[in-house]
Amino acid sequence: MKVTYDPIALQIQWSRLISIMDEVDAALVRTSFSTIVGETRDFAVIMLDREARSIAQSQLSSPGFTCSLPSATRTMLKQFPVDTLRPGDALITNDPWICHGHLPDFIISMPIFVGGHVAAFMAAAAHVSDIGGRLDEFDARDVYEEGLRIPPSKLFEEGRRNQQLFSILEANTRYPRMVMGDVEAIVGAFRVGARRYQELAADYRPGDLDRVAEEILRRSETAMRQAVGRVPNGRYHHTVQADGYKQPTTIQALIEVNDDSIRIDYSGSSGQRNDASINCVMNNTFAHTIYPLKCSLVADLPNNEGLFRPISAVAPEGSILNARFPAPVKARSKTSYHVHNAIYGALAQVLPQAVQAGSGSFWSIKCFGRDEAGTPFAVHVLPNGGKGAVEGLDGLPTIAFPANGTITPAEIIEIGSPLLILERSLRRDSGGAGRNRGGLGQTIRLGCARDARLRLTIRPDKIRFPAPGLAGGRPGSPGELTLDDRPLALEPFELRPEQVVTMKLPGGGGLGDPLERDPDALRRDIEQGFVSIEAARDLYGFEQPTNEPTGA
Amino acid sequence: MSEAMNYRLGFDIGGTFTDFVLVDERSGRAFLNKCLTTPDDPSRGVMDGLGPMLRDSNIAGEEIDIAIHGTTLITNALIERNGARTAMLATSGFRDVLEMGTEVRYDIYDLFLEKPAPLVPRKWRYDVEERLDKDGNVLIALDEASLRETAAEIRRHEVEALAVVFLHSFRNPANEKRAREILAEELPQVSICVSSEVAPEIREFERMSTTVANAYVQPLTRHYIDVIEHQLRDMGYGRRLFLMISSGGITTSETAKEFPIRMVESGPAAGVLAATYYGRNMGLDRMVTFDMGGTTAKIGLVKDHQATKASVIEVGRVKRFMKGSGLPIRVPVVELIEIGAGGGSIAQVDILGLLKVGPRSAGADPGPACYGRGGENPTVTDADVILGYLDPNYFLGGTMKLDVEAAKKAVEEKLAKPLGMTANDAARGIFEVVNQNMLAAMKVHIAERGEDPRKFYLFAFGGAGPAHAYELARALHMKGVVVPPGAGATSAMGLITTAVSFDFARSFVTRLDAVRWDEIGAVFEDMATEGLAILEDAGIAPDSKGVTVVHSMDLRHKGQGHEVTVEIPKKTYDQRSTEALAELFYERHREKYGHAHTHLAVELVTCRTVVGAPPPVVPLHLSEDPAADSQAVLKGKRPVFFPESGEYQDTPVYDRYRLVPESSFPGPAIIEERECTVVAGPSSQISVDAFGSLFIDILPAVKVGKDHA
Repeated sequence: MKVTYDPIALQIQWSRLISIMDEVDAALVRTSFSTIVGETRDFAVIMLDREARSIAQSQLSSPGFTCSLPSATRTMLKQFPVDTLRPGDALITNDPWICHGHLPDFIISMPIFVGGHVAAFMAAAAHVSDIGGRLDEFDARDVYEEGLRIPPSKLFEEGRRNQQLFSILEANTRYPRMVMGDVEAIVGAFRVGARRYQELAADYRPGDLDRVAEEILRRSETAMRQAVGRVPNGRYHHTVQADGYKQPTTIQALIEVNDDSIRIDYSGSSGQRNDASINCVMNNTFAHTIYPLKCSLVADLPNNEGLFRPISAVAPEGSILNARFPAPVKARSKTSYHVHNAIYGALAQVLPQAVQAGSGSFWSIKCFGRDEAGTPFAVHVLPNGGKGAVEGLDGLPTIAFPANGTITPAEIIEIGSPLLILERSLRRDSGGAGRNRGGLGQTIRLGCARDARLRLTIRPDKIRFPAPGLAGGRPGSPGELTLDDRPLALEPFELRPEQVVTMKLPGGGGLGDPLERDPDALRRDIEQGFVSIEAARDLYGFEQPTNEPTGA
Repeated sequence: MSEAMNYRLGFDIGGTFTDFVLVDERSGRAFLNKCLTTPDDPSRGVMDGLGPMLRDSNIAGEEIDIAIHGTTLITNALIERNGARTAMLATSGFRDVLEMGTEVRYDIYDLFLEKPAPLVPRKWRYDVEERLDKDGNVLIALDEASLRETAAEIRRHEVEALAVVFLHSFRNPANEKRAREILAEELPQVSICVSSEVAPEIREFERMSTTVANAYVQPLTRHYIDVIEHQLRDMGYGRRLFLMISSGGITTSETAKEFPIRMVESGPAAGVLAATYYGRNMGLDRMVTFDMGGTTAKIGLVKDHQATKASVIEVGRVKRFMKGSGLPIRVPVVELIEIGAGGGSIAQVDILGLLKVGPRSAGADPGPACYGRGGENPTVTDADVILGYLDPNYFLGGTMKLDVEAAKKAVEEKLAKPLGMTANDAARGIFEVVNQNMLAAMKVHIAERGEDPRKFYLFAFGGAGPAHAYELARALHMKGVVVPPGAGATSAMGLITTAVSFDFARSFVTRLDAVRWDEIGAVFEDMATEGLAILEDAGIAPDSKGVTVVHSMDLRHKGQGHEVTVEIPKKTYDQRSTEALAELFYERHREKYGHAHTHLAVELVTCRTVVGAPPPVVPLHLSEDPAADSQAVLKGKRPVFFPESGEYQDTPVYDRYRLVPESSFPGPAIIEERECTVVAGPSSQISVDAFGSLFIDILPAVKVGKDHA
């Protein structure tokens, strides 16, 4: 069939490519083994063209991965050149410097053959349940302590498992069933996608879909350049601080807008840490640079690499945002999840209507042990704080940002482990005051259901440095983490049945001067118990009418 | 049932119209009526339409065998938020879960995303000390004294309804039921629902959302059903009123009043049931149903003469058609996906310079540009007029003239100029892009069910469905298109051709090989007994012929997130064989996903039981006024554009009402009826059956060069 750059034909072909990836996504969710993939959706599935450039992704793909997948695939192809690949091959690696910055993120890519040649790739990144290494989150001194590193390897050869690699993987994870179940689910979903791609290709002439890929990338790049072009030229600078580990982390961003391109320079950020697993590799830093910019500038466009072309990011080698091998990186989101705050702080100077104040997400709860039958279990829960406010809207309470995923229901957690969830409730006054208020964080209390050996690792954030406000808005409340009312260290610990952990997750930052808040909105906040009378008086200048009842 | 009575009455209150259908069970002869819905008091519209219909057809209320009602009341109340002042009582520490939800963002790039406000504001959410563990053992007894104090506080807020939702109550409802007893004593005026009855399934947020929604709509539904029943009695109908529920079953008014939430979105479900009815009569066991109207297209699946079901539905999405942006309601439903593609969907050029259609809709007012009511945006209907699919002089049977020039002008200015193409090409673009939007959704939906579209017919109805169906069927290589007679009354037909049936579910999480059959069997028998009792109540003896009790289990690989529903064959059930069940699970999983992990244990999550009466036998009605021969039904010819040939072809136009039964003619063809227009392309053969249904069989494609997809 004929393909021109007819905008209608392109729209249709593009939509068909995205719909293939949605099908792959659905197949993966339904066949995955871990709750991380199945419920919290910590994965992405992407279609790459024959040059391994991303052209279409499932609509709910986790944004961070979408930057690192194409480049990781290209790196693997240096070792396994395209012309040596055979139908049924699949490649894998989890090298943080190639992939997405820490070992649990597996990247798997599979070539799709049409007419005997590689026409495209299916690629997925997924956070697997365990990859060995230390159980603590932060104390590794290098990446070797953090688990098994898989260099680019063949996972499948002509449809057959690489049995040796499977055995090595199984022997190096605490939960081989879940990890290998997810790996198989990914490859199974790829096969669906490859079939669909081949059916699609049959409707066109050879080479047509390559030209479609070019055109998708070109138009996306142009649209991003136009959007950047509307931002006034200049240099915008902002610095944020994050809790880090044992000592704070500084992130400095200098955004240079130059006509239709943006360059972000992270010079001045903290140096690499060789005693804490909170380092980011450059891939990861770049992903967390692209994401907030896409949200602010071209939120509605389908995601692909064309959008990234006008954006460049640099960070000094050896800094916390561009760590050298073999730095420890396991908990790098303690750093990377603050990058957008630096970017939005800088952009707020020129685009206050398109930025978001800091968000309270996320914390992590990992629980390991053995059930009554002696079978090991692992539960990984990612609860969220409040979202930062945006122009015209208060932050939503307890919602994921910048990562995305569902909270595992208490009933599901309790069925999968001896944990007992004693409370999950909204935290009054935790949303940063502002014309638009930050979203509320939550209080979670955990206990142990019965006499069981249960190890917990909890990773908090924003305990020392809360989610920042913007444009005169106040920061959200910082987080608090206690065990029986005493501050809890971050090391893994054994939870005994009579003990209670209390987690108070941070609120989101506010936007704009709190004194400008709509009085009706403030009254509703008080009535619902989102804001206390005291806070309303102190922060919003609220004057209580003498006869008005107070809220819950 | 008495032999004197032979009429089945169905009436369906939709957003705009209330539809009536009265069918003689002996002949299949149907009387139809349609009147405007009266939103302030929907029962008034019912009487306005029903009275004249009975008079005109000379049928007395006493002659009606069964009256079945479908309504959008529940859905509307949830969307428009005009339900009761509702409070909620949760396990201590969990009252905010209703507002916290799943914590996921349904759109990952939208910084400005919003969520629907909870139906119960925080000031009316309460909690009480009580706690069960995962197996339903009581860890903390219900604090009755403090509950009575809470009740006193609730009383001060003058709420009308109350939902009680405790953790793990699906395993042991005792605390919830005791709480209800106490609350009923303290708050006699308040209608109270408990989650262990409304939605006894695991996952506290969804159960909470569902129970709260049930409480929220209960007072108004009770009142409404009482009024309708009263009015029907006044007309001489002395039997029970039955209501259509979301799962495609029908239930008694008593059950509907207790669990009104089970009626949510039952109207669209009726369309799929109508498809199963026609399919049974035509011998088509696999169909994709395609209902395209003014703003949305709804797509469902029929397999083995059964509508596919889902266990959760979303209501009141705040971001149009975006999954995750509505309130989740966990009830068994006929599975339908809804996308923002209808006659009124607006086409525009996006910032990539590409043509986008929908989900924004011009609605009915101003409507498409061709309505001539001031609409300036080009829509799907405008494209359909330009491409020759619709006759501007025969829209709604000619009662509404369409302005072709206005359509062309809108397409020219908003699309053709900015895109640098002709108005014709832009119109064709609208048609193809909206079709692609529907195709993408349809494909993913069919694939998620592990099915192959080539084995299905496309069953098309709704105002715009039959005009777009041929292209969709062709692109998916489906067998062909079926258009039932009277596409305007398709949903109402679904009401009267459906069996009485009830769905039950109880979550019960355990390893399958550790299942104690006595315990599980009791759960199943309990559900079956409850269902048979309701049937008996409805005048159907439990031992009468054709009554079915079907048990199934939602199973998964231990540790895997998602469940597969496996129907338990009677033999397996009687033998209590968990091994056989595990095998069936692996088989179903393989069927659906291409692989199964037989080395892994199987876990039971939810037990389900469906108790059903046999479907009524309603014959199809023979055509009444066929023309003498095919030529006599030819209204004329007009140029019509077909993507497969890439050009306008002079195409015969037929009068649907006068088609000759059991005749056949080749495409291309346009077949017109009052409420819709059927388009059959060049690669098709059209057959008319004895009852006026149209079959458009797609012939092996003649591949031509200019096709986009």
